[in-house]
Amino acid sequence: MISPTLLQPPAHLSPSACIQISQQAPAFLQSHTRTVLPYPLSVFSSGETQEIWQAYETLLLACLRTGDDKSASQCLERLVERFGEKNERVQALRGLYDEATAQDEAALQKVLEGYEETLKEQPTNMPIRKRRIALLQSMERPTDAMTALVGLLDTSPTDAEAWSELADLYLAQGSYSQAIYCLEEVLLVTPNAWNVHARLAEVLYLSSTASDSPGNALKGLSESMRRFCRSIELCNDYLRGYYGLKLTTTHLLDTLSKVPSKPATATSDPVFGELAPPSLASIQRLNELATAKLAEIVRRNTAGEKGWDGYEMAEVIAARELLDRDTLSIQR
Amino acid sequence: MAGPIEQQIHRDPALFYWILLPITVVMILTGILRHYLSTLLQTTPKKQALLKMREQRHLMRARNMIINHAQISKAAFNKRKEWFADKVKEGTLLESGPDGKAKGKPNPLSDPAMMDGMMGMMKGQMVMMVPQSLIMGWINAFFSGYVIMKLPFPLTPQFKQMLQAGVGTRDLDVRWVSSLSWYFLTLFGLQPVYNFILGSNNAASQVAQQMQMQQQGNPMAGAEDMEKIFAAEVENLEVVEHWYVLDGVEDRLLAKFASSI
Repeated sequence: MISPTLLQPPAHLSPSACIQISQQAPAFLQSHTRTVLPYPLSVFSSGETQEIWQAYETLLLACLRTGDDKSASQCLERLVERFGEKNERVQALRGLYDEATAQDEAALQKVLEGYEETLKEQPTNMPIRKRRIALLQSMERPTDAMTALVGLLDTSPTDAEAWSELADLYLAQGSYSQAIYCLEEVLLVTPNAWNVHARLAEVLYLSSTASDSPGNALKGLSESMRRFCRSIELCNDYLRGYYGLKLTTTHLLDTLSKVPSKPATATSDPVFGELAPPSLASIQRLNELATAKLAEIVRRNTAGEKGWDGYEMAEVIAARELLDRDTLSIQR
Repeated sequence: MAGPIEQQIHRDPALFYWILLPITVVMILTGILRHYLSTLLQTTPKKQALLKMREQRHLMRARNMIINHAQISKAAFNKRKEWFADKVKEGTLLESGPDGKAKGKPNPLSDPAMMDGMMGMMKGQMVMMVPQSLIMGWINAFFSGYVIMKLPFPLTPQFKQMLQAGVGTRDLDVRWVSSLSWYFLTLFGLQPVYNFILGSNNAASQVAQQMQMQQQGNPMAGAEDMEKIFAAEVENLEVVEHWYVLDGVEDRLLAKFASSI
């Protein structure tokens, strides 16, 4: 029996969970040794399922993360044996293994050249193209990575993964409007991804704090607030959403109280859309809602209640800090 | 005597051992053979060329844009719409590039990729046709005209044609099944048996294969005029009535949580 964590590992694996998975590797490899029967018998013992290969892949990734290169290489060997060297996914996994075990810059450079060689032969090999981009990024050549990503998105403009990667790269460069464009593309592919909505809201918030004209900043803030609202609407207990909602509403209340005459009546702004600015009362109430929800999440998570323990430690701490900031300013 | 008299035919039990059983076993074995033959003859699907893929995905993106337009603001939507319309006008999204616009529809017979597809279909057809006709001939030659079994339940006379093919007796009760009809019954009814032996995605059954063929459609239809499809997509984008999912979202959210705070 294969445990479910091996088949569908959570997308964001914490180090401790990762080490737990990789510790299963030697036992798993032991128990699934290939027993080769002579020909007429081997017909009957085709006990292979898709799950086994999925488990091998998960183990390979976990082992590479935890530095168990020996098990990783065994996993990879079996995958290669089964699917052949020419399989795209296996090629990408092999690349990943080579990258992880590379000792110095020169070795990485060699891996990169290997990727380019492969791509020359098979330009449609998406896994390898993505590996090349990831490698470029880890070799700290973001401009090259961006060029490669733009090229990839020109051939495959429905690739949400690539779009969000590009958004992150643009964000790191401070090109907010490009990052927003990319995240909007992600939303066009996955319209109900609340984390992407929240991410877009975060980028909007950043861009509005960086913007110089108060009118634009206000528009950006209210758009960002609405995005956070949408993300909460899609996922009721989304900590990041509430955090952002609280942050933006506090900010908005500040700005609006400082600027009594509302400058945001011009509703045909080309960048931030055409929605009327939200009313002060609803901002106030959203702020209260966010505070209440954040407090609830922090309280229940700290108490270790069942069903409330899935949050990231760092995020909960940040939320508590935000709440504390609030109470401090009231006390003053 | 009340009720119709049940027909009694004394069958030699050898009929069971020498006709019914062989036909069934042979049918199952052909199914298995067909499964392995078609796996053997399968050509690996050819990879799409880079430009073809680009063309398809840009089309997909436009369709996504139509479906999910509510996620982005009107300004952002218009920007993308104009970009797409421009590119379609220039023809840069087409596989053949802007120069290929005028060439029009290629002849499917001259396209090697097309020929590959048709060869694959021919092979599939052959694998189905050859054993089928062989067995049909075998049964016709050796077992035609035998009544080999009696169904344990009554049937209406309409089934006579189906169950008594090759036996020209008008008064025979419908419950008697001829050898040829048994062949047809096994031909169409063995899918569950194959599922049991070969797993659920087997290629043993005729019927399933034929259905698949129909779904695939005519191979000639593959070469549509992409330019026209893109133009239609531009029009579809043009008529989208934009609404924005963020419109009034704060009120919706407040209403949703009105009870809990």
